[in-house]
Amino acid sequence: MNRDPQPNVSQPGQWADGTLPPNVQLGANTIITGDLAFKRFHSREPGALRIGAHGTMDGVHFDLGEAGRMIIGDYCYFTNAVLLCELEIRIGNYVVIGWNTTLADSDFHPIAPAERIADAIACSPLGKGRPRPAVAKKTIVIEDDVWIGPNATILKGVHIGSGAWIEPGSMVTRDVAPRSRVMGNPAQVIGEAS
Amino acid sequence: MSLTERRLSWDWYEGEIPDNAKIDPTAYVETTYSFRFFRSRLPAGVEYGVGASTYLGTMFDVGPDGRVKLGNYALVHGARIICDSEIVIGDHALISWNVVLMDTYRLPVNAADRRPEVKRVPASEFRIAAADVPAQPIHIKSNVWIGFESCLLPGVTIGEGSIVGARSVVTSDVPPFTIAAGNPARIVRSLTPEEMKMHAA
Repeated sequence: MNRDPQPNVSQPGQWADGTLPPNVQLGANTIITGDLAFKRFHSREPGALRIGAHGTMDGVHFDLGEAGRMIIGDYCYFTNAVLLCELEIRIGNYVVIGWNTTLADSDFHPIAPAERIADAIACSPLGKGRPRPAVAKKTIVIEDDVWIGPNATILKGVHIGSGAWIEPGSMVTRDVAPRSRVMGNPAQVIGEAS
Repeated sequence: MSLTERRLSWDWYEGEIPDNAKIDPTAYVETTYSFRFFRSRLPAGVEYGVGASTYLGTMFDVGPDGRVKLGNYALVHGARIICDSEIVIGDHALISWNVVLMDTYRLPVNAADRRPEVKRVPASEFRIAAADVPAQPIHIKSNVWIGFESCLLPGVTIGEGSIVGARSVVTSDVPPFTIAAGNPARIVRSLTPEEMKMHAA
């Protein structure tokens, strides 16, 4: 295997399996693969998705709602992550996200049962044009050098500090301090990431 | 399927069964997509027993020194198998969808050590993180049933006949004929004499 740590920087960022939406910007040598990468990309924001250089986005789903904005730093390596973004997701540099891990910055539906009935109707085939009730959304922030294992879930409003280590299968409902190691459902600190 | 036939007539993916995959003629491989990240250099990097099967969603993310063995009638319905040492799945084992079997974390836990490895990913042949971090074999004994979206962490052994509940994260060994569940997984109970009836010891 090629262990050269100097990637080819001359190559512009690309989506291997389609034409990028106009409001997506990729840094040099960033590669997105997968037919379904932008299947649920609905953002109308200018510069809705910006990814830095040398990124590897293998089978990642960029599921951005109409007002969703997402920024991802350099040297990020995500495998089949599902990124559900109705508001804002900010991810730093050197972040690794494992296979089948989900990030969601929204609850997608209201908590109150009566509002959920209205939402179910608005979301139905008969609900075209009906306004949907307000839904809780909070920005997710993931700082530099965070590792998130496979099958994990990161919920809305979570801020993960730099260098943290999220064990496989974790359900992260609260902030994670820098360089801490968490696991479980709900995720709890089990030690330092060192 | 004959051992000389490296392409599958029913395959939607234009791949091949690797030369060092030893597959019993009675076994079933749904798609060669499962070998996209298979790069074992061992003579038998993956072995399928009699009547063993892997279905869509199964991915052999196997490093150069990794070896995966599926026992007779083992059924893998879509697992991410991350293997740098050895993962052995016993006879009649049932592995559900989106299960993760990992014998290694592939990257150092310490962020300062991890960063140079992450920087290497875009220059590596497979664009895969693969640092020299220790791997500890996973052993799934015969007759085990693993529920969907569970994760087995490095070094774990699941004893014969045991059950791992859905979405469990298994961090330590599970004894034989036991039900374990939760994240992190805990032992729920042993199988009862009633449930053990008909089991040939």
